[in-house]
Amino acid sequence: MIASGDREGTALTQRGRTARNSRLIGAGGALLALTMVGLTYAAAPFYSAFCRATGYEGTPQVVKANVDAEGRRILRVAFDANVAPGLGWSFEPESDSIRLRTGQTATVYFRVRNLRDSEVAARATFNVTPEVSGGWFDKISCFCFTEQHLGPRESAEWPVVFFLDPKLETDPSMARVDSITLSYTLFAAPSERPSQVGPGDRAGPAG
Amino acid sequence: MASVTDLTHHDVEAHHEHGHPTGWRRYLYSTNHKDIGTLYLIFAVVAGLIGTTLSVAIRAELMVPGGHVFPLISAIMTGDGSLDAAKNMYNVFFSSHAIIMIFFMVMPAMMGGFGNWMVPLMIGAPDMAFPRLNNLSFWLLVAAFALLMCSLFVEGSPGMRGFGGGWVLYPPMSSDVGTPGPAADFVILTMHLAGASSIIGSINFIATILNMRAPGMTMFRMPLFPWSVLVTAFLLLLALPVLAGALTMLLTDRNFHTTFFEPSGGGDPILFQHLFWFFGHPEVYILIIPGFGMVSQVVATFSKKPIFGYVGMVYAMLAIGLLGFVVWAHHMFTTGLSLNTQRYFVFATMVIAVPTGVKVFSWLATMWGGSISLKPPMLWAIGFIFVFTVGGVTGVVLANAAVTRYLHDTYYVVAHFHYTMSLGAVFSIFAGFYYWFPKMTGYLYEDRLAKWHFWLMFAGINITFFPQHFLGFQGMPRRVVDYTEAYALWNMVSSIGAFISGVGTIVFVYLIYEAFAAKRLAGNNPWGPGATTLEWTLPSPPPFHQFETPPHIFGDEETHAPAIAGHGNMA
Repeated sequence: MIASGDREGTALTQRGRTARNSRLIGAGGALLALTMVGLTYAAAPFYSAFCRATGYEGTPQVVKANVDAEGRRILRVAFDANVAPGLGWSFEPESDSIRLRTGQTATVYFRVRNLRDSEVAARATFNVTPEVSGGWFDKISCFCFTEQHLGPRESAEWPVVFFLDPKLETDPSMARVDSITLSYTLFAAPSERPSQVGPGDRAGPAG
Repeated sequence: MASVTDLTHHDVEAHHEHGHPTGWRRYLYSTNHKDIGTLYLIFAVVAGLIGTTLSVAIRAELMVPGGHVFPLISAIMTGDGSLDAAKNMYNVFFSSHAIIMIFFMVMPAMMGGFGNWMVPLMIGAPDMAFPRLNNLSFWLLVAAFALLMCSLFVEGSPGMRGFGGGWVLYPPMSSDVGTPGPAADFVILTMHLAGASSIIGSINFIATILNMRAPGMTMFRMPLFPWSVLVTAFLLLLALPVLAGALTMLLTDRNFHTTFFEPSGGGDPILFQHLFWFFGHPEVYILIIPGFGMVSQVVATFSKKPIFGYVGMVYAMLAIGLLGFVVWAHHMFTTGLSLNTQRYFVFATMVIAVPTGVKVFSWLATMWGGSISLKPPMLWAIGFIFVFTVGGVTGVVLANAAVTRYLHDTYYVVAHFHYTMSLGAVFSIFAGFYYWFPKMTGYLYEDRLAKWHFWLMFAGINITFFPQHFLGFQGMPRRVVDYTEAYALWNMVSSIGAFISGVGTIVFVYLIYEAFAAKRLAGNNPWGPGATTLEWTLPSPPPFHQFETPPHIFGDEETHAPAIAGHGNMA
C-alpha cells in the first residue's frame, strides 16, 4: 500500500481493533435479539397472570368469600353455555339470566349431560363480557376450576357461586354496563383429546 | 477535496491487484456492499411489480359491485371458478399484497438497497462491518420469498389454496381452526426467514455505523440518512424478535399441540394481537424512518441549504422510534380495553404527532428561502411531505378510541395506512431512487420521463386512496370482496386511480430501460453544490472498493456542526 512499513503496521492494528469492536457490537446485538425472544415467551405466563389479577379480557376474579357489603346497583347477569365440536355433551344454564344487586351472592346451576356411552373428562373455559367487567365479577366456587368427569349417559347439575363487587359502581368503565354475560365453553380434557383432530371437526370459512 | 480524488484513483488501480469475482459468482457470493445493495434493489423492484399487480387485480374486482374478476383469476390459477374459491383467492391476494409490499418491497429497498449502498459511502467506510453476513441476509430474503410463493400453491383453508388471513396472521384464522392446511405454515416460515434476514442486516448496520465511521465523522456530523438507518436498525432488533417469538408460538400451536393462543388449553388469541402489534407498530416506523432520512438528504440538496434543525431531526427520529414501542394497543381499541387503558393509548399515540411535526416543519423550513430546483428527486420529496402529512393527520383522527369504534376495519383505515405507506414510504423510496440512480449506475435518466412517472403516480394514488376516506365514513368494511350498490361511485373512482398509477409504474420500468440504453454519463456529482455528502466525492458508479484509507472529515470543532450542514470541509 504505502511505502513506510511502520505506517502499514499502524494501519493493521487499527484494522484489527475495528474488527474486534465490530464483533463485540455484533455479539451485543445478537444478545439483544435473543433477549427479546426470551421476553416474548415470558409474556405468555405474564399475560395470563395479569389477566387473572386485573380481570383484563373479561377474566373473572376468584375469591374466598363475599365481602358482605351490599351495593345499590342492580345488573342483569346472563348465562351462555357452549360445547366444543367433538365432545358430545349437552350443556345449558338453568335460567338464561338473573337480576342481581351488587354485593349479593348468587348460586346458579348448569345442567350437563354426557350423550356418549363412555366416560369422558371435560374442562370449561370461561369469561365475561363486556371484558371490562372481569375485574368486578367475583367467583367463590365454580365447576370450571377443576376437570369434570361424567360416566356414560350420566347427567349432573353444576353450581357456580359468585357476586358482583360493589366497587364496580365507582368504575367509570362500568357506568353504562347494565348487563354482564358469563360464558362457558366445554372442551374435552387435554388427556382425552385425540392427537389428530379430523377435518370434520374443524370450522372452515364455509362453516 | 483533491486528496479524496487521488485516493479513489489509487483504489481503482488497487483492486486490479487482487481482482474480484465476475459473472454470476460476483453476485451469488458477493460480500461487496454495493453489489448486495444492487441485488436488494433489483429484488425490491421485482417484488414491488408483483405486489402492484396483485393490487391492480384487487382494484379491478372492486371497480363495480358483484364478483366478476376473481372467479376468473381463481379459475385460471386453481381450476376452480366457484364463488367460494374466488372469495378465498381475493383473501390470498390482499394478504400476499401486504406481505410482499412490507417485507419484500419497502424493507429491502430502504434498508437492504439504499442502506447497503449509501451508508458505508456516506460515513466514509470501506464496506459493511460483516460482509459475509450481508450476503446471508440477502439470500435469506430470497428464500423467504420462495416460501411465500410456495404457500400460494398448497392447501390453506379446507379445500382452498393459499393463505388468506391477512398480514397480521391473527389466530384463530391462522391457527389450525381457520387454516388447517400447510399454507399458513409456509407464511409463518416466510416471516421467520425474512425476520432473521432483517435482524442480521440490522446488527450489521449498527456495527458499521457505530464502529466504521471515518476519522472526524462524529455521530452528530453524520448525515441524516445513516442516522435514520441506525434508528431503524435498533427498532428492527427490538421488534422483530417479538414477531419471531409470537410466530413460533403460533407454529407450535398449529403443529405440536401447545396452547399459547388456544382457549381450550388456557391460551388467549388476544395475546397474539398484543405481541403482534408490539412488533407491528414499530414495524410501520421501520418502513418510514429510512424514508425520513432520504427525504432529508434530497430536500437539503435541492434547496442548496443545510437541513434545518439537524439535531432536532435526529432527536425526532429517536423519539418516534421510542414512542413506537408504547402505543401498540391503538390497533386494538375494539378488543375490550378499560377506559383508562384507552385514554393512555390515545394520548401516547397523539404524542407521536409532535416529533413527526418537528420533522415536517424542519423540511419546510429547509426549503424556506432555499434556492430550490424542482429536479425529479425533489418532486418526489415534496410529494412525500404532502401525502405523509395527509396520512399523519388521518392517523391523529384514528388515534381517538371513540372514533375508532366507528372506523375500525373500514376503508378509512385502508386510506390512512396507504397514505403513510403506499404513498409516503414509496414516494420516499422513489425520491431516493432518483437521487442516487446517477451515483449507483453512472448514468443520467431522462428528466421528462421521471416527471411523467411522478405526476402519473401522484395523481393516480391520490385518486385511488382519497375517495377511500369517504368509503370508510360510509362504513365500507375492508378485506371484503364485494359491497353494496351504495359504495359504487367512489370504488369506481378509486379503481380508475389505481389504473393510472399502474401506467405510472410502466413508465418507471421504461425509464430504467431508457437510462441504461442511452448511457448519458453522470459524472461525480450531477446535483451541484447542494450535494455535500461523501458519496458525491466519488466517481459514478463508485469503484469496487472505496475509502481503503479513510477520508478525514473536518468539522467545526467548537460547535460540533455536522458535515451535512455544509459547515464541514472534506479533506
